Amino acid sequence: MKQKEFLTTVLPFKDKLYRLAKRLLVSSEEAEDAVQEVFLKLWNGKQKIKNYKNPEAFAITMTKNYCLDRLKSKQAGNLKIVHSNYQNSENIEKAVEANDGVSLVFKIMETLPEQQRMILQLRDVEQFEFDEIAEMLESNETAVRVALSRARKTVREQLIKQYNYGVS
Amino acid sequence: MELANIETLLEAYFEGNTTLNEEATLRKYFTGNEVAPHLAVYQPLFVGLERAGEEVSKQEVVLPQASFQLNKWWYGIAAMLVVGATVGSFMFSQPQLTQEEKEAVAAFEKAKETMLLLSENLNKGTSSIAHLNEFSKGTSTISHIDQFTNSKNKILK
Repeated sequence: MKQKEFLTTVLPFKDKLYRLAKRLLVSSEEAEDAVQEVFLKLWNGKQKIKNYKNPEAFAITMTKNYCLDRLKSKQAGNLKIVHSNYQNSENIEKAVEANDGVSLVFKIMETLPEQQRMILQLRDVEQFEFDEIAEMLESNETAVRVALSRARKTVREQLIKQYNYGVS
Repeated sequence: MELANIETLLEAYFEGNTTLNEEATLRKYFTGNEVAPHLAVYQPLFVGLERAGEEVSKQEVVLPQASFQLNKWWYGIAAMLVVGATVGSFMFSQPQLTQEEKEAVAAFEKAKETMLLLSENLNKGTSSIAHLNEFSKGTSTISHIDQFTNSKNKILK
């Protein structure tokens, strides 16, 4: 496979990989690194990419695995990423003080567990079907639906909470 | 889009029971300008999700230039060719002769040997002929007899 051919295969979903990586790693620099790394891996295994009927799904799975590994190794190395400290609700409220509704949604998304974050991203941002998401995340459709529902409800709760706080 | 329908869709949305089409309808409604006041709380969610899809990667993808695997293959093939050529040329440098040709070569060798022998003997012959020179030396000495004859003639006068 020539480099040009490879790029025409993988470049169409580059931004999707980037957004997923960014959703997980939060920092845009790290997300760029993740995309680069995933493309390198795909390029080195370029003979194999043909064997997958859906290279996009394959690339998304690789991105997911890469980002989760990154997050894990950071936690193991005690290098807690800056943004992971929104984990408790007290911090959410602090972050939320920047009361632009949209950035609030982003902040809330950062508080979600990784699996829910990825599912929300792949469904509500990238608009993949449930079976595709299940394949990408090596899960099943029911689990994806359940996690998605939880993620959406969490976002709703936080939004309403903040909305009422702003109103009252 | 009527409000009741949106409310139903919204409920289904939070349960994870909407299709992509229905979600598109919701997104369209909430990113539009006419959102019912009691639903305004959800507007940032859909606007935010829409916004999240607009982020793009700004970094160029850098891939290593030449594909090394292909090169390795070619090195291998080149090495094989060299080895093959060496072995091949060694094999083919040995003349491959049929039985008949071998006999012919043997006969030729024998004939050559015979001719050599012959020419050697011939040389022996010529070297013995060289002794004839001695003979001509002899004749030249005999020519002194002429002197003798001259002096004898004087005496006899």
